[in-house]
Amino acid sequence: MDIEIRDYKGMKVIAPSGEIDMHSSPELRKILMQFVNEKAPVLFVDFKGVEYIDSSGIATFVEGLKGMMPYGGKLKFLHIPEGIMEIFSFSKLDKVFEIYVNINDAFKG
Amino acid sequence: MKDSVTVTIPSHSKYLSMVRSIAEKMCRICGMADSETEDVKLAVDEACCNVIKHAYKGDTTNKIVVKFRAVRKGFEVIIEDSGLKADPAFIKGRDLDDVRPGGLGVHLIKRAFDVFEFDERKKTGNRLVLRRQL
Repeated sequence: MDIEIRDYKGMKVIAPSGEIDMHSSPELRKILMQFVNEKAPVLFVDFKGVEYIDSSGIATFVEGLKGMMPYGGKLKFLHIPEGIMEIFSFSKLDKVFEIYVNINDAFKG
Repeated sequence: MKDSVTVTIPSHSKYLSMVRSIAEKMCRICGMADSETEDVKLAVDEACCNVIKHAYKGDTTNKIVVKFRAVRKGFEVIIEDSGLKADPAFIKGRDLDDVRPGGLGVHLIKRAFDVFEFDERKKTGNRLVLRRQL
């Protein structure tokens, strides 16, 4: 897994690529929680390059979301591939996370 | 000889991708569709994660043996370890409406396999038997 951090209109976009699993999710967690601890008002996560995610990767995002809730931060997902969306739906997390088709919609939402 | 592949990996998460690759190829050999293959690959990965986390408590110096095989009208995966005995009574996922980190892996395993059972004949460690009807 690689992680690219981009800026979009003053906000951070976390763009992991490859496989997010038990081995790689701690690195993702470290970056995500760093922004959460800095109380980033909005964080975008671009899933375009993500080929695989397991429950540890999902748990990382749940932890991030839970960390942002107390200060009113928003965690917004975009470009989720169909196979990964199916896992979010199965685990009912599609109702919990803010999911958008692209960053323009996520920015407006 | 029936289609059967056995892989032994160290109990370290860096080897999980290897297990996933083999799971994927075995599913294809057994004629599974792409969506089935993805479900099985994820489930096997989750089961091996559980071995690392719960049976071995993160100790990376042990072994996990994963056997894939085609069985009559089905596909079977047997995962063996020599770690702490699992108690099936305590293996259950979280309520999916209770959103919190963790507790999802068991749901993902049971989604992919019709049979999820520990072979009680194994005296030390665990032998998890997963079977999917085809």
